[in-house]
Amino acid sequence: MIATGCGDDRTSGHSVDPSGKIVLDFWNGFTGPDGKTMEAIVTQFEHDNPDIKVRMQIIPWGTYYDKLTLSLAYGGAPDVFIVHAARLPEFASFGKLHPVGDLLQSTSPPLTQGDFAPRPWNATFYKGVQYALPLDTHPGGLYYNTKLFKEAGIVDANGNAKPPTNLAEFIADSQKLTKDTDGDGRPDQWGFVYTNFRSNWITFATQFGADIVSADGKRCVIDSPESIQASQLMHDLIYKYKIAPRPDGIDSWLAFRQGKVAMAMEGIYMLDSLQEQTGLQFAGAPVPQFGPVPSTWAGSHLLAQPDGISPERSRAAWRLMRYISDHSLAWGAGGQVPARNAIRQSPEFHALTVQSQFAKELPYVHYEPLIPKDNSIFQFVDPAIEAVLLNLQSPQVAMSDAKRRVDQLLERP
Amino acid sequence: MKRFLRERQPFHHILMAIVAFLFMAPLLWMLSTAFKRPDDIINSMGTITWWPHPFTLENFKIDLTKAEEFPIWRWTGNSVFVSLAVTFLVVTVDALAAYAYSRLKWRGRDQVFAVLVATMLVPGQVLLIPSYLLIRELHWFDTYQALIVPAGAGAFGVFLLRQFFMTIPVELEEAARLDGCGPWGIFWHVILPLSKPALAALAIFTFMGAWNAFEGPLIFTDSMSMRTLPIGITIFQGRYSTEYGPMMGAAVLAAVPVLLAFLAFQKHIIKGISLTGMAGR
Amino acid sequence: MSATIIAQAEQAKSTSAVVKRRRTTSPGLLFALPHLILFAVFLLAPTIFGFYISLHHWHVLAKTHPYVGMANYSAALTDDIFWLAVRNTFYFVILAVPAGNLVSLLLALGLNSLRRGQTVYKVMYYMPVIISIAVVAVLWRWLYNTEIGLLNVYLKGCVTGLRHIGLPLPPFQPVPWLSDPKFAMPSIALMSIWWGAGGNMILYLAGLGNIPDDYMEAAQIDGANAWQRFWAITWPLLRPTTLFCLVFSVLGSFQIFGQSYVLYAPGSGPARSALTMALYMYQQGFSEYEIGYGAAVGYLMFALVLVFTILQFRLFSQRDDIQPKARRAA
Repeated sequence: MIATGCGDDRTSGHSVDPSGKIVLDFWNGFTGPDGKTMEAIVTQFEHDNPDIKVRMQIIPWGTYYDKLTLSLAYGGAPDVFIVHAARLPEFASFGKLHPVGDLLQSTSPPLTQGDFAPRPWNATFYKGVQYALPLDTHPGGLYYNTKLFKEAGIVDANGNAKPPTNLAEFIADSQKLTKDTDGDGRPDQWGFVYTNFRSNWITFATQFGADIVSADGKRCVIDSPESIQASQLMHDLIYKYKIAPRPDGIDSWLAFRQGKVAMAMEGIYMLDSLQEQTGLQFAGAPVPQFGPVPSTWAGSHLLAQPDGISPERSRAAWRLMRYISDHSLAWGAGGQVPARNAIRQSPEFHALTVQSQFAKELPYVHYEPLIPKDNSIFQFVDPAIEAVLLNLQSPQVAMSDAKRRVDQLLERP
Repeated sequence: MKRFLRERQPFHHILMAIVAFLFMAPLLWMLSTAFKRPDDIINSMGTITWWPHPFTLENFKIDLTKAEEFPIWRWTGNSVFVSLAVTFLVVTVDALAAYAYSRLKWRGRDQVFAVLVATMLVPGQVLLIPSYLLIRELHWFDTYQALIVPAGAGAFGVFLLRQFFMTIPVELEEAARLDGCGPWGIFWHVILPLSKPALAALAIFTFMGAWNAFEGPLIFTDSMSMRTLPIGITIFQGRYSTEYGPMMGAAVLAAVPVLLAFLAFQKHIIKGISLTGMAGR
Repeated sequence: MSATIIAQAEQAKSTSAVVKRRRTTSPGLLFALPHLILFAVFLLAPTIFGFYISLHHWHVLAKTHPYVGMANYSAALTDDIFWLAVRNTFYFVILAVPAGNLVSLLLALGLNSLRRGQTVYKVMYYMPVIISIAVVAVLWRWLYNTEIGLLNVYLKGCVTGLRHIGLPLPPFQPVPWLSDPKFAMPSIALMSIWWGAGGNMILYLAGLGNIPDDYMEAAQIDGANAWQRFWAITWPLLRPTTLFCLVFSVLGSFQIFGQSYVLYAPGSGPARSALTMALYMYQQGFSEYEIGYGAAVGYLMFALVLVFTILQFRLFSQRDDIQPKARRAA
């Protein structure tokens, strides 16, 4: 990678290769099988578009945004890159993204709002300008261990494991599924475990009508009564109903993989982690509705271009973006839920059991706050959620503390 | 019997052996995990299973063959190259400087040395952000220079070698001068040959520091092909789950060169340190 | 004849002395120059530039970086999370340095008194040092896991076993090594001691090696036992080593970063109990991209370390050359 810092075109140095092809740099964070799927799509693109060569770079998500941010600030930014819906406002607000509204019209047939699921589509706009093309949505859904369900007798008329759909069922099922099998006074099998505190909390809270920031993005509302109610419920599941263990960080997911926990709420991207655990019998379902509002946490992957990209390269980059979107069935098979309506409605997609279950949630998914300071507010929100789940602070105290800090952050220029 | 006890020191050995086990236990676990299959690793958590069941080399295979995802040869190569280069740079530059501060008189010598010593107190992290911007200015981001050259700026080696050089008898220097040696000649023919233990000690400390360096490589590189081994290994720690098998395999691979280097040089290190006078007279 | 030679030698010596005076002013600088250049560019300049950055509101993506004077510093000093990080770091230093040095010293003493097999044990005690911090943290995160970690599994086995043979112990409750704020820093300290003990052990071994054997023999002849020999001879003669180890241990411990970064990062531990100054600085600079604020945190950290180190030196230099007996009498 040759880092250039100067010049009008902020993209990397070698834009044309010796044979005259345009060389596009495409960055994403798709490690593992996702990456293979994307690679296959890209290779096919090159085959169908012989005048373009694509250099795809996979950067693990942990360092992806560091690298992307620094490259947008200091040079070496790619021509096409993935950005999560929650991060788009930040980059757009600093003027680092290239508007794509015109590009949607440019290829034929043109792509319009009607071609996409509404929520991912809306997430590509910041202050009325469209900055990205939606690729997929990855909602959090319910994974459940069918073997444990059957053992506990929680089945439907056909003898298949029957996942809970509301709070009452959830608690009842979990109580049956929480067992002390070795007689030491402590459960060895649990009904449920919190895996990703942030996404789990957003699911619970938004189902009670709560959120982190107000609709206009200017105030923090995490201390609202609904939010406290949801947080208290999450706390009670561990300490009052005792159907979930005190969470021990991200390794809680291992307990589900080991077959020691019957249910977990996680994103679709965890699917292959489960598929590689031989002997584990599991299925997927929409998350139960704990509160009055149907809702679940989700993220979306969007395709974007950097500000300052030359018109010629922008058009070439757009061809790649469009192609990926057109061919996102393969992407769906990999595990994500494609944003293109036509693809989601195809029979091939319906054949993917876990994905199509999770896809039912699409009409009511809820993103993290779509504000420029989205990334920063979580330095205060995450510890508050953790404090509640670890029983270190009451929801009232934790949330009002978080509200104070987030408000301070939102007020700063 | 008493003499046997004193000679063989059985209780002593038992105690030392217990302590040794405590130190080694996590590492034995690391070794054992490196040879287990992913399922086995997950299933054996929560139990005490030292022996892999089944014993597999697949983690090492993953590590060594999945070059695009985990270019472990490249990382190792990077670590070796960078560590050797840093060691060479530091020992050379610091020996020259230490000679200047211990054996030569020049204007401002003591004041400059005081500044050097003072900077040893500056916590490395303070420099992270400005160093990062400096590296970008120089267009050295994600290059070998960024990993090697800044390491030569530290004052520790200068301090260490100066201590040592001051213990070399002045008469030897005078004799060399009478033979017609200038400062360079004295340095090359007198000081350096007598300093082998201290130079070895500095070399091995520097090598190990460079090998395990974490924050510098973390900030100054980001492409897969430029990562050093310690940073590369963290890739196995995804946002949502950790691939313990390949990670422990990589960790075992990463530990081997340093272990061998230590085994080869440990006597020299200790001798070198004791001769610098830092460890008492 | 010999007088002439002597005279000639004397003259040569004084000439060369004059020549020496004239010649060694520049060679000194030349020898020091390579290092000084590197030092100036990569250490001094960033230190000064960093201070410059700390006086600005500087976000990586922003187009302008307005000057704000000491605003970042006052923001840090009124930031309760900053002070939490300071407290956590001090806590770590207090936990890890004395205990760690004690362990290293004991290991060195143990090795030193072995007649045979020293090398084998030495290597085993040193092995953790050669492992990179990322691996150490991942290993220990696993060991420390509340439900399935090796440490709790072993402890459970021990407690259950002891209860079986009749000891009146309460039933085993798994220790929340990493998820309870009270345990987080001690757990990190234990892991760090395990990781670093071998390093200082080597230094103490070198120091012990410098103690002349005849001192020990003389003391033995005088009838002193091992305990007395240690206090009267070993401990005082180890003082330079001990001072060196303590100063550098403290210096290194103040900068603790890798452990928390790999074990926890984002919020940094339950109730932020694992958040250290260095990690806070890194997060502000490289996660939040507010490098102005991050730099200010860094310089406050530097000021604290400087003050502490000066105090350390003052403390140690006062106690020089005081005999143990005289101290007891006073």
